[in-house]
Amino acid sequence: MSIIDRLLNIDSRIIYLLLFLALAFPILYPVVLPMEVQQYSLTAFEFVDDIPDGSYVLFDGGNTAATYPQGGPGMIVNIVHLLRKNCKVVIFSTSVECVPFNQQAIDDALEKLSSDVSAENGVNWVNLGYIGGGGESAVAAFVNDIRSVLEADYFGTPINDLPIMEGVNDASDFAAVMWWGGSQGSIPWGIRQIVEPFGVPMTGQCTTNEVPNYSPYISSGQLQGLIGGVRGSAEYEYLLNLPGPALGQAMATNFGGLLWMIAVVLGNAFYLIKRARGEE
Amino acid sequence: MNAEILGLLVGSIVSIGAYSVLIGDNPISRVTEHLYTGILAGYILTTNWDYINRNAVSRLSQGNFIYIIPIILSLMLLGRLTPKYIWIFRYPIALTVGAGLGLAIRTTVVADLLGQIKATILPLNSINNIVMIIGTLTAIAYFLWSTKYEGTYAQVNKVGRFFLLIAFGVTYGQTVSFRFELVIGRLVAMLDPRIAIYTYIFIAVAAIILAIGYRTGKIPWYTGR
Repeated sequence: MSIIDRLLNIDSRIIYLLLFLALAFPILYPVVLPMEVQQYSLTAFEFVDDIPDGSYVLFDGGNTAATYPQGGPGMIVNIVHLLRKNCKVVIFSTSVECVPFNQQAIDDALEKLSSDVSAENGVNWVNLGYIGGGGESAVAAFVNDIRSVLEADYFGTPINDLPIMEGVNDASDFAAVMWWGGSQGSIPWGIRQIVEPFGVPMTGQCTTNEVPNYSPYISSGQLQGLIGGVRGSAEYEYLLNLPGPALGQAMATNFGGLLWMIAVVLGNAFYLIKRARGEE
Repeated sequence: MNAEILGLLVGSIVSIGAYSVLIGDNPISRVTEHLYTGILAGYILTTNWDYINRNAVSRLSQGNFIYIIPIILSLMLLGRLTPKYIWIFRYPIALTVGAGLGLAIRTTVVADLLGQIKATILPLNSINNIVMIIGTLTAIAYFLWSTKYEGTYAQVNKVGRFFLLIAFGVTYGQTVSFRFELVIGRLVAMLDPRIAIYTYIFIAVAAIILAIGYRTGKIPWYTGR
């Protein structure tokens, strides 16, 4: 068997091992590569920046155990950004698994805030927890009448006892929506149930693989920019001048991508060589 | 040891177990899978129970009798557990699917169709706009299967296919990047300086267990590529 045949038949476990090493290396030995902020992230950041100070902002948190490491850092700085603008942040989730991660993001955001920023639970922010009912139907019910689907927030405090929820009944009471959808594929729910019926502008976050799916919504103006995966989180950290874990993770992604590209190029080159030789 | 370190350690052990499936199916990976499934099922059950309790049962006990309907519908779902009563479970499912579909369709025409058409009506004053218009039209034309594949249409079809292939390539690249990010998320936690040494020890222990298993033939060696 020739070297080319051996390489084309390489055990996939060797590729996995190389990939693990390529991804772990920049984590163990941080390397900083140049990074340009993408237009989608910039638009999303500017959208948040332009929200009038003190506005009510509806926040869907959809990151799970798998996607929180990439979406979480961006979500944290997004909350910091909103609270610094004295916005009232109302957080909810339509997935059970996401609820503790939303609280984790809030707690981490509070740690990053300086003492002069008001960030009181129930006054400046509230975690409404889980909205049952299944996906888009739950969103529709929630945004049309919040109290019809919720009695209390994540900590069990009745909604009517929360100062932040005073006079807030449906989506029309919010100035903007942040849809941190993770890999749920839920951004269209927000567009269909909030942006179109209520006319409330929305920006979002999703995992890297979902970015192409939502590009048409950005072109049509239904989505104000998009934070895509760990790179989007890293760019948000950079734009808000709050460096965090996402920047380091984005560098590791570069190394993995480089190895993958080399593998794809070599695989195709070997295949073409074999074909040129008239081999199968 | 605080809760955060304990969480990182448990996460490290479980991640090593889950990733060991890459070597081939083995008892360590299976234990991890079962652990994850069991914990998640329990968590979902308790959270939903709490949600129903807070938002339906408590309201019912306060005299809001309308909430008896969702409670009955929820109970009807349990019909799924026995083949004899499976028909009962179909009614709440039909209602959920129907309501979900109706709610989605309500604004789908505006959100997913008219909005996208509007976004494609662009002035031909930049390369981006020209590419967007040609790409959209030719990609749609690719799916006109009622037209015979010849002449000008064949050329349009080829251009449409070209754009579709580029879109698939972008999606593939983004998917690969997403998978890396999933792994990186775990690696960052596993290689946290506070627990990295334990991660190395866990890897060594898992490797020894697997090596003994493969050596003695108790774990079958996966021979596929």
